[in-house]
Amino acid sequence: MDVRRWALPVAAVLAVLAAGYAVWSGVSWWSASSNDSVAFSRERDEVLRVGQVGIANFTTLDYKKVDADLDRWLESSTGELRAEIEDGRDKRKKQIEDAKTVTVSRVLDAAVTELDARAGKAHLIAVVETTVTPEGGQAVKKVNRYQTDLTRTDGGWKLSALGPVAAGGA
Amino acid sequence: MPPSRRRPVPTPPTTRPRVAGLRKRTDPPPTPVEDTRAAGGARPENDPATSRDERPAPATEPTGSPADGLATDPTADAAVAGQTAARPGAGTHAEPATDTSVGGRTTGRRAAEPAHLDSDTLPSDRDITRSTEVTGLIEPREDTEPEDETPDTRPRPTGRRKRTGEAVAAGVLADPQPEHAKSEADDWADRHTDDRTGPGLVLPIALVVLAALLVGLGAWFQSRAGQVAYNEALVDSAGTTEVAGQAREAVEKAFSYNYADVSTTEKAANELLVGKAKCQYNAIFGPVRTLAPEQKLVVTVKAVSSGVTALDGDRATVLLFLDQVTTRTTDNQSGGGIAMMRVGAQRVDGRWKVDNMEMFGQTGDQAAETAKC
Repeated sequence: MDVRRWALPVAAVLAVLAAGYAVWSGVSWWSASSNDSVAFSRERDEVLRVGQVGIANFTTLDYKKVDADLDRWLESSTGELRAEIEDGRDKRKKQIEDAKTVTVSRVLDAAVTELDARAGKAHLIAVVETTVTPEGGQAVKKVNRYQTDLTRTDGGWKLSALGPVAAGGA
Repeated sequence: MPPSRRRPVPTPPTTRPRVAGLRKRTDPPPTPVEDTRAAGGARPENDPATSRDERPAPATEPTGSPADGLATDPTADAAVAGQTAARPGAGTHAEPATDTSVGGRTTGRRAAEPAHLDSDTLPSDRDITRSTEVTGLIEPREDTEPEDETPDTRPRPTGRRKRTGEAVAAGVLADPQPEHAKSEADDWADRHTDDRTGPGLVLPIALVVLAALLVGLGAWFQSRAGQVAYNEALVDSAGTTEVAGQAREAVEKAFSYNYADVSTTEKAANELLVGKAKCQYNAIFGPVRTLAPEQKLVVTVKAVSSGVTALDGDRATVLLFLDQVTTRTTDNQSGGGIAMMRVGAQRVDGRWKVDNMEMFGQTGDQAAETAKC
């Protein structure tokens, strides 16, 4: 009987305390995960992801499926870079098909060096390992460094400029 | 089969036990018992005998008889024993019942004849047993024989189902009553106890469970909040600039070399590189250091681009694009090269120091050397 007398109040207090703790921790989680810094961090990660994929796309070209690869280039690009590809598409296609090379690349490392989330502009550098295989020839591996500008579009971040970082600076 | 059962049931059942008892009385009690089971009539001997002789003191005997029956006949007990044993009065009646069941219907029939003869004695036994314990139950049985109405309700179904009216009836009747009584009593007790404990403790227990769940939820929220720790690269722009600048400076100073001023390079390398990076530095820069004095080399390393890939408190990772210009002062020949380096940085005493260096596109020898670190 004694137990019944104090069980309810004690249980009620416990429940209230637990509820308070849960609310507090929930709010702290929400505030921690919804602040500007986290949002900016996510934006940076997105830029990094798109940049890596875009650079890999632009440094991969198979003469047996040039059209598909060039379509992917267009898909990854915007602005000047896209216009450049469209203008020089036929010429580029002929070059690749004549050279009969298969170029495959992967990004070894990349870093976003600048990000203006509000303006939708970003700059990224990347280390790319490129493997060029001429038909019937030996594959040649080379590590290059690239830099790219990204612009945010309605379809997400796209590459707006891309080029190697030559000796002597950008 | 069914009709045979029914027929013997009405008249013989009462008579059987007595008859068996009479017969068995003549025979030796112990051995016959088992035989009777097989035969069907053996048991009745002991029990009925006791019941008859000891009629005046039914209460004591009946208890004894069931016990005997249990001990002697395991098989019979198994069938009806559990129930019969519990109740002495029922036991006496039950035994005959068991016998009938065990012995089969044939025994019942056989017994039936003698039963008629002993019919006088039987009623007395029944009366005794009834009065002592199971009166309510027992009565219906007897009634069944003379009066069909009352007994019909209870005994008939039992008798029909399995065995002769009496035996079966006794077991069935006896069992249901105690069971019901017990079960009802228990139920009442349980309900009352439950009701009493229930209203008092159910709510507190529910609240405690709720509290436990909430604490678990809160802990999960808190752990999630702790994990929100994000990569501060670029987010903390001042910190990002600082670590990028100091990492560049460390690498530039450590890898730039003037044969005329070796100490500057060595000092920078000692100050700005820590841990694993020192070993890696020796592996990368060793060849230059051996050639430098004799060729009077001047090596200038400049980071043309840098990006912080990770920044978390006192740890950071920086990607550096390096240009290297090497001038051989002996003949003023210069050459250049590019390099990409991933640098691990650690803040020590307020200053970022390099504790890891990974070169991309290293030559085989260089890679092998640095891999040893």
